[in-house]
Amino acid sequence: MTAFLSHRKQNEEQDAANALTAQAKVYAAMTRLQSSVDQADSLEAVREIAANLMGCEEVALYKFDQDRAALWLYWSFGIDPNKHSYFDIIREPRLEQVVAGKIVFDAGSNDAALLSIATPVTALVPIISSGQVRGVLVLFRLLPQRTGLDAADQQICEVLSNYAGRALAPV
Amino acid sequence: MAKKVLLVDDSTTTLMMEEMILKQRTAYQTVTAKDGLDAIARAVEETPDLVLMDVVMPRMNGFEACKRMRLESSLRNTPIILVTTRGEEEYVEAGFQSGCNDYITKPINSRELVTLLHNYLGE
Repeated sequence: MTAFLSHRKQNEEQDAANALTAQAKVYAAMTRLQSSVDQADSLEAVREIAANLMGCEEVALYKFDQDRAALWLYWSFGIDPNKHSYFDIIREPRLEQVVAGKIVFDAGSNDAALLSIATPVTALVPIISSGQVRGVLVLFRLLPQRTGLDAADQQICEVLSNYAGRALAPV
Repeated sequence: MAKKVLLVDDSTTTLMMEEMILKQRTAYQTVTAKDGLDAIARAVEETPDLVLMDVVMPRMNGFEACKRMRLESSLRNTPIILVTTRGEEEYVEAGFQSGCNDYITKPINSRELVTLLHNYLGE
């Protein structure tokens, strides 16, 4: 009985710590994006959030072409921009979901890759501004100490989706 | 009197997160600096009980700032924890050679951070 209670207490403490980590990261991400002063600062905020809060140092932001049929690389960090400069939306089924406003996460090694490229993709995040999806943020490989995204990371992706619009357009 | 922790990072996002975790989970007082040079000045002025410092920063990185802090008599024995994105052996070794006491890898987890700080400062 004592061992059971001790184990339950440990679990409760772990849950509380995870909740605080998530709360602190979401607060920091939201405050940073909302206080960004211009487009360049907003892009830097996206880089900081991905690298420091999520452990992802390979990030790219894509913008639609005029017909919204393709995504063109707009800004990147930590990747070879020539390798992933363009995605044809019709050939990427997961991107179609993202264009409709859904955040898509890599669910693990047994799941199909998110994009038809060799580089691992961890998440596809629609960037929403004035109620419309204006672009897509691609989070590529995570740092080696990260095995995958957790609940806190998923909340941060929600924040990026809703507050990083300024990164795509000069104010 | 509350123990004082100097948080050093060029990323305001990281500083905000660290401040929030320490505010909610500890009674420590926090002061901040944006790079290695700023950190040395703040550390001499504030004489913190512990320094939690990023490695990759503009103007002066965490390794160099750590080395220089160790040359200051008031900071010679202050625990310095480096925050790294890489946990590889060589990188960690460079940190210890610069005079740090410990290291923690990004992204920071609140439980890990608080436990580490409690080890050096008590609760």
